[in-house]
Amino acid sequence: MPEFEPDAGRLTFKLVYYGPAQGGKTTNLMQLHAQAGTQMKGELMTLETQHDRTLFFDLLPLGFRTASGLTVRFRLFTVPGQAAHDGTRKAVLSRADGVVFVADSQRSQATNNGESFQNLADNLGRVGLDIARLPLVVQFNKRDLADILPEDEIRRRYASAPWPLYFAAAIDGRGVGETFSALLRLVWRRYADEYDLGGRHGLDEAAFVAAGGGA
Amino acid sequence: MGAEGGFDRDFTLPELLSPRDAAELCAVAGAVLGVPVAVLDAAGAVYGDGPPPPADAARAPLVVELEPLGFIAAACPPPALAEVARLLRWGLLARARLRMVSDLHLEAVRADYARLQQQNEALKISEAKYRELAASLDAKVREQTQIIDERQRQLYQAERLASIGQLAAGVAHEINNPLGFINSNLSAAERYREQLAGLRDALPAVEWQARDLDFVFADFADLLRDARDGVDRIARIVRDLKGFSSVDQPEEQVVDLNAQLASLLAVVNGQKKATIRLVTDFQPLPKLMCLPGHLNQAFLCILQNALQAVEAAGGTVTVRTRAVGEQITVSIADDGPGIPEDVLPRVFDPFFTTRGVGAGTGLGLTVARDIVLAHGGRIVIDLPLAGGTVVNVELPA
Repeated sequence: MPEFEPDAGRLTFKLVYYGPAQGGKTTNLMQLHAQAGTQMKGELMTLETQHDRTLFFDLLPLGFRTASGLTVRFRLFTVPGQAAHDGTRKAVLSRADGVVFVADSQRSQATNNGESFQNLADNLGRVGLDIARLPLVVQFNKRDLADILPEDEIRRRYASAPWPLYFAAAIDGRGVGETFSALLRLVWRRYADEYDLGGRHGLDEAAFVAAGGGA
Repeated sequence: MGAEGGFDRDFTLPELLSPRDAAELCAVAGAVLGVPVAVLDAAGAVYGDGPPPPADAARAPLVVELEPLGFIAAACPPPALAEVARLLRWGLLARARLRMVSDLHLEAVRADYARLQQQNEALKISEAKYRELAASLDAKVREQTQIIDERQRQLYQAERLASIGQLAAGVAHEINNPLGFINSNLSAAERYREQLAGLRDALPAVEWQARDLDFVFADFADLLRDARDGVDRIARIVRDLKGFSSVDQPEEQVVDLNAQLASLLAVVNGQKKATIRLVTDFQPLPKLMCLPGHLNQAFLCILQNALQAVEAAGGTVTVRTRAVGEQITVSIADDGPGIPEDVLPRVFDPFFTTRGVGAGTGLGLTVARDIVLAHGGRIVIDLPLAGGTVVNVELPA
């Protein structure tokens, strides 16, 4: 559930980038930090790394103010991908309002992707979130590398899954915005009615996505 | 844990900056800028116990994420104030990061601890279960071992009976054939003897008497009759042997136990010593569903014990059958020396025997009990005051 503070006129969505270690979650946030044209954009906060690996999380705050006076904030978190940090991963995932699963397209990483997705499903259950109702987008990253699974094969594998599928090369910024926009669209569809974003705050899906920093 | 307590909550100015720190910051910033500096909270009120800024003071926001947590205010050029605010942001950001990381760490540790506690509880439960299992393991193993032993004995017995049965069937078949032609030859011999007896009138009496043929013919008839008796006895023994081993009826069937016992006794009768009297006292019994071969084996074991008890001094063995309601009781009583008190509790133990090596396997009564138990009955040993031993086999009809 997004955090709504009526007194401060503030609605905050927690969005989490999940996925196997070194799949490009932090790179996604760095690119969004550079690309996103939101009204409000904070610094990318990186909380401790070790050999380029996230130890705790990264945090990118984005936001905009509606004409009605509501401040809509998006706090984008990454989780540490390494298996050992499951406790941290679970804590970061708790209270999430949307998830981007960043998979690694390299053939050698197929098992890691599977394990990480299973871990996401397990942890969602543990923190009391319903994977069937949570806005969730799957991104296959690292399309720029050689020896990757071809797109049509991935599409075939995910054909029966309900989640939108995106391809990205986060290192060049390719696909990062599209993925984020897709998540914003799902977030809109899931929560717009509940917080009357269309009626009271004069937003629609396209406006919401554009103001949130999507394409 | 609600959003208020989570590591990802929004920090307020007091959480990142104590009033004392704020006072020190104001002093340092004031020294840098050359004018008094005030710290204001998010709502614009003076934070800490410093003096309020002058009315025309410039303001610069203190931002960690998106929105200002507070402001600094001083009557100085705004760009200079903004530079100081950026400097302060470093400190605030560092504190926010430290708080977030330590809170996140705490959250993860607490969750891990809770999980460990749950696992610990589960472990305790399973440990208790195993402790209980270990305690009852001995008894369980003994129980199972006993069951396996019993089954093995039954199996052994069944196989032994089967091979005895096959042997008996083979012997009976082989003996019945020659018995047949001996029988018919004896009949022919009798006819011939009668024909030859007709020669008495045809031969001279002198010759007849000289050869003592009157005696020869009379004795010839006796010999033939004795031979026929012998053949009849052999035929009966073969029939009883077949009946005893039940080779023809390997499956459960309904029998008259009296008839079964009679055929068994016929077999035993031939083996017993002349000094032993075998008495039967049968009363009509309801039909019994049983494995006749197996029951015969059980009765034979008991009977052999009874016969052995009176073997040395001679005596009487009585087989009595009674029916009370749906229960059949077969009592096999002897007037031998009885069973010593210290031996009595062990008579059913496997391989327990009072006889010399090679004379008994110590399995007789064990097997008998197993068979009777398998028929839903039981064996009770009675030692009458008058002496001797009574073994009662009770079977449900």
